[in-house]
Amino acid sequence: MQCKYLPDVLCFLPSPRRDAVVALSHIVTMLPLSLLNAAQNKPMLVELKNGETFNGHLINCDNFMNITLKEVYQTNPDGDRFWKLKECYIRGSTIKYIRIPENLLDVVKDEQNRAREAGRSNSRGGHISGRGGRGAPVRGRGRGAPMRGGRGRGRGM
Amino acid sequence: MDSLIPFTTSGALVDCVDRKMLVILRDGRKLQGVLRSYDQFANLVLEDTVERIYHGNAFAEFPRGLFLIRGENVVLLGEIDLDKEDEIPLRHVDYATLEPYHQNAIETKKRREEHKAQVLFEEKGFCKEGGEGDGY
Repeated sequence: MQCKYLPDVLCFLPSPRRDAVVALSHIVTMLPLSLLNAAQNKPMLVELKNGETFNGHLINCDNFMNITLKEVYQTNPDGDRFWKLKECYIRGSTIKYIRIPENLLDVVKDEQNRAREAGRSNSRGGHISGRGGRGAPVRGRGRGAPMRGGRGRGRGM
Repeated sequence: MDSLIPFTTSGALVDCVDRKMLVILRDGRKLQGVLRSYDQFANLVLEDTVERIYHGNAFAEFPRGLFLIRGENVVLLGEIDLDKEDEIPLRHVDYATLEPYHQNAIETKKRREEHKAQVLFEEKGFCKEGGEGDGY
């Protein structure tokens, strides 16, 4: 549970509580769905609950884990039949898991660190810039979920 | 820390972050990897994941990389004791060697279950099992 960027204010919390906060803030910066958001244009393998797999590049995703892929290779559950699709949409609720390129986690972390450093140098001395500091938008907010119109009513068609 | 955080998904899993965890999925797959992140649905991010298969007194591993698992498919999430994980009385064998046996065992089990369901339905007056047919 180590975090290089422990906001100084946390030092005054009792140690167990501090650990919890640090761990939470650590997680919050790359929640599973934020990671997915950051994986746009990256290749990935999506396996559905029924065992079908879809290999392709992520075009977009939303907060329901609905995704669109392009240049897709689909296989049946036994893995002995293949289809090639230009583009496909997968409803989030049908997904079992997604396999993402191994290096993506590091890429996202680096990006966040850079953003955080930028936020630090922008802010004036003494100001503690944790997350939500000025100039350092946390990735995955605002950028994602363009598929949802207006106020997010009606998840169906 | 137990008393400070209420028993929620987040409260229960916060201690597991950056630990090596065992995840068992509803389809029976067993994955081991380092838990990097999770959310309120227990969607999980597992890094350096290996899939393990077991057959008889042997097991084998296959590296699978980075996983984002949708929480509903998780049956079990358990921490692996790094001091004890090598003490298991099982032989570590080649994945390619063990995989056919494992597939065979899955097929056999599936057929058995189908047969059982058929007998229960046709002879014992049970209804058909709905949906996915696993016990979860």
